[in-house]
Amino acid sequence: MHKQIEAIIENIEKVMIGKREVAELSVVALLSGGHVLLEDVPGVGKTMMVKALAKSVGAEFKRIQFTPDLLPSDVIGVSIYNPKTLQFEFRPGPIMGNIILADEINRTSPKTQSALLESMEEASVTIDGKTLDIAKPFFVMATQNPIEYEGTYPLPEAQLDRFLLKIKMGYPNAQEEIEVLRRAERTQPIINLLPVISLDELLALQEEVKQVYVEDSVKSYIVQLARATRNVSEIYLGVSPRASIALMKASQAYAKMQDRDYVKPDDVQYLAPFVFGHRIILRPEARYEGITTEDILDRIITKSVIPIKRYAEQ
Amino acid sequence: MKKNVFSIVELAVYYVIVFIILREWLIPIMKLTGTGHMELILFFIALSLILSLFRIHFVVSIVIKLAYISWFIVTIYSGYSILSAEGMHFLVSELTANIGLLVQANWVSVTDPFRTLLFLVLIWMLIYLIHHWITVRMSIFYFLVLTVLFIGTLDTFTEYDGTFAIIKIILLGLITIAFLFLKRLIIESGAELDWLKYMKLVVPVILLIGLSCITAIFLPKSEPQWPDPVPFLKAAAGKGGNEEGQKGVSKVGYGEDDSNLGGPFVADDTIVFTAQSETKQYWRVETRDVYTSRGWIKSDYFTDASTVFDPYMDITHSLPVGPEEGTKQAAISMLYPYDFVVQPYGLKSVGLMDSNEGYQFLMDDNSEKITPHFNKNPAPLTNYFVEYSKPVFLYSDLKNSNLDNLDPSLAERYLQLPENLPDRVRELAVSVVEGEESVYDKARAIEMYFRQNSFRYDTDDVAIPTEDQDYVDQFLFETKIGYCDNFSTSMVVMLRSVGIPARWVKGFAGGEIIDTNGDMKTYEVTNNDAHSWVEAFIPNVGWINFEPTIGFSNTRSIDYNIETSEVERDELSVNEEKTEPDEVVEDKKDVQQKSSNGNNIFLNAIKEYKWMFLIGFIVLVGAALLLYLKRTKWIPKVYVKFNRKKKLDESSFELMYLQLLKILEMKGFKRQKGQTLQSFAKEIDRYFETNHMGKMTNAYEQYIYAKDSAEVDFNQMKESWEYLINRATS
Repeated sequence: MHKQIEAIIENIEKVMIGKREVAELSVVALLSGGHVLLEDVPGVGKTMMVKALAKSVGAEFKRIQFTPDLLPSDVIGVSIYNPKTLQFEFRPGPIMGNIILADEINRTSPKTQSALLESMEEASVTIDGKTLDIAKPFFVMATQNPIEYEGTYPLPEAQLDRFLLKIKMGYPNAQEEIEVLRRAERTQPIINLLPVISLDELLALQEEVKQVYVEDSVKSYIVQLARATRNVSEIYLGVSPRASIALMKASQAYAKMQDRDYVKPDDVQYLAPFVFGHRIILRPEARYEGITTEDILDRIITKSVIPIKRYAEQ
Repeated sequence: MKKNVFSIVELAVYYVIVFIILREWLIPIMKLTGTGHMELILFFIALSLILSLFRIHFVVSIVIKLAYISWFIVTIYSGYSILSAEGMHFLVSELTANIGLLVQANWVSVTDPFRTLLFLVLIWMLIYLIHHWITVRMSIFYFLVLTVLFIGTLDTFTEYDGTFAIIKIILLGLITIAFLFLKRLIIESGAELDWLKYMKLVVPVILLIGLSCITAIFLPKSEPQWPDPVPFLKAAAGKGGNEEGQKGVSKVGYGEDDSNLGGPFVADDTIVFTAQSETKQYWRVETRDVYTSRGWIKSDYFTDASTVFDPYMDITHSLPVGPEEGTKQAAISMLYPYDFVVQPYGLKSVGLMDSNEGYQFLMDDNSEKITPHFNKNPAPLTNYFVEYSKPVFLYSDLKNSNLDNLDPSLAERYLQLPENLPDRVRELAVSVVEGEESVYDKARAIEMYFRQNSFRYDTDDVAIPTEDQDYVDQFLFETKIGYCDNFSTSMVVMLRSVGIPARWVKGFAGGEIIDTNGDMKTYEVTNNDAHSWVEAFIPNVGWINFEPTIGFSNTRSIDYNIETSEVERDELSVNEEKTEPDEVVEDKKDVQQKSSNGNNIFLNAIKEYKWMFLIGFIVLVGAALLLYLKRTKWIPKVYVKFNRKKKLDESSFELMYLQLLKILEMKGFKRQKGQTLQSFAKEIDRYFETNHMGKMTNAYEQYIYAKDSAEVDFNQMKESWEYLINRATS
């Protein structure tokens, strides 16, 4: 495992108990410049996760609590007339940080959602005709309550596509929960958490991730998986080529995390459910039958052929 | 694994049983093949068993066995002492000569001493195998089944009576199997049995085996339903049925035993010898004088008489020799170690090549067979040459021949006919020569008789006379289909029936020209040229050869002197030459058939041997199926064999790795197509409790997925590869 990345994850683990996988996946998203959608019920440590991650890399952490009455300007910022200087001054919104926790994103109106998501995609905000780049690294971790909950505005598929990974936190097991209680007795350890790498080092890591080699046979494996989602009868909408790119980038980051400078099908296979899961829309019939996206992706992965030879043009 | 689980006494008991069973193997072999010295072979078996019982070091054991085999061969076959120079010389020459024959795949000529050697080596191997079965596998079931099958087959199909042998083998074999099984059980379970408990297990087994054997002995048994498979197979193939008393198909070639003629034979183009000579001629080997109505045997007219000739000495024989000025030479190279000298007509002397000093020739006065001898022992001679001058017969002499003053000794010997010869043979002969004046013309008439009257030359569809049938009678009146033996024997019998002394000659036809060098031509004579023909005694002229077989031509020269009228000569020359083109006509027919039915030949062959093809096909399919079903067993072995020595490097890495996957798959470790190599490797390593697969897979993944393949320690890879293959295939 890559030493720096290992350090980040271990740092997170100091406060998050039994959530190594979530931590790893979050770091993967961070390294590949993508964003994460955390989906789970409240109270399982989503916020703690993001905070820990932000602290570990020494990044500026901002939190936006999405409410039904939140306006786009509350997210991206607003220009205010300064009577002293007789000029409009831009007051940057919380989006202009490094690591942003967009809490309960599906509770706000679509208008505000799209303001957030657009800035996520472009890594910049446009206000009053001026485009402002958001400082790098820029990492949004959005959380949403499961869509079946009351008072939610489900994210449209085009928006969902902008998240690199969708991760479920899940409940800790009994042992872990006892440990959580034990720690909560005293002060929250998050307060004492120190950064393990600097922002510059993180940016350098992001650059390195882009250098991770993806052999054509592995690319073709990614494409094979992506195409398979478009040909399954239970799926109403398969994944887009953007999803294929996302899978590749995530795999690169995951490979880097393993301290490897090339991507293996193992990486792709492991990440595919997290990358594709939220981009697939099942047919209602399939949903009624209780088939989940996980089941179908599982099936696709089992049926796809792992390349075990050097790539040869077909 | 290889522990001494048997005590010596225990093993000795098993070996005694094995010895008894092997003795039952030997008895029928000895009986049926007419081999002697059974006690010496039994001693060899005992020796081998004892050596393996005491776990004598294999080098010592091999030396002892080889010494015994050498002693056996030298003592039995040459009579010399093994320690003498002659004995060693005998051994070495036998070995070198026979290994040469083996290399040439000339199985038939391998000599008896060498066959004995091979037989003893076979026993040696067998005992090794049995030793393995007993001590390692602890089961002699296969050996027992083989033995029972072997004895059973011999008992059913031959005159060997194996009734008690089978009972003995079954009894001993079952008891042995039971004890070995018990032994295996004890070892596997790790149980300690005291004497009483052991007995509790053993006694019922012995009682059970004894009881079932006794019951089996007293049960009524039917006769074999299928005593001899050969007629059944032939009938099934649609080839038998019309003739009774079939025997197996023989192979063409020069045989010694002519006492039972008849039956089909198959072609054999083994080259017997090559002859360099100016003329094409028949090569005479020996004659036969006594016809038994089943075949020919040699009389003892001259008791134990033989004449010795030195090389180049004039040979006296019964045949006429041509004039001095017509003397020619022919050089013979025997390629097949027959023990005779081939004689052209008009033989004068036999000469030697330089390297063959010390040879003499011995002629059997009864058959006129000439055998080369060296140091008074028969010894095949490879290269020699013969001097001969072809006799020329005056037509006038032939024309004026009559039987008035026939030498009574000739008449006694060469007019012999079996008493039970059917009268119709005699009557036919008389009618054929009716109207002919001279002895020669009568003989000619009989010779020509076979060319007409719908006789047919065939080597396949040839009958064997039944118990009370005469060979000649069957051919002349019933089948009219046959080959040289049928024609020549019939002609001799017919000649004798009309009072003309005649004898049956065996030898070779002229062969085919393979090389021409000026006047000298090289003829290649194969086993297909083995032939028989007729010599008739024409008073005042001597023995003359006749050729009754359709499709063959004789080579006697007749001088039609001026005393004969013009017309008659023409007629006669036509007659004489008629024999010559016969072969040509026949050949042409063959050629036409071949060219016009080019495609049909194959189809015909299939039609004719459709059963053979069917059986062959079924066997092939069966074999293929077996190979396919057992592929997981043998393919890995083949892979390993092919690749063990192969270097594992960058270029072969992919291949070797994929092969490893394939072998693992055959052994039940199938990688699902969606399973990554890494997770598969983990599975394998977990199963074999190693990390070799992981190591290899890491390197391989780097090799196929990474941009630059990193430094891989291929020696280590090879080690892992071999380890995994061995684990998978063991």
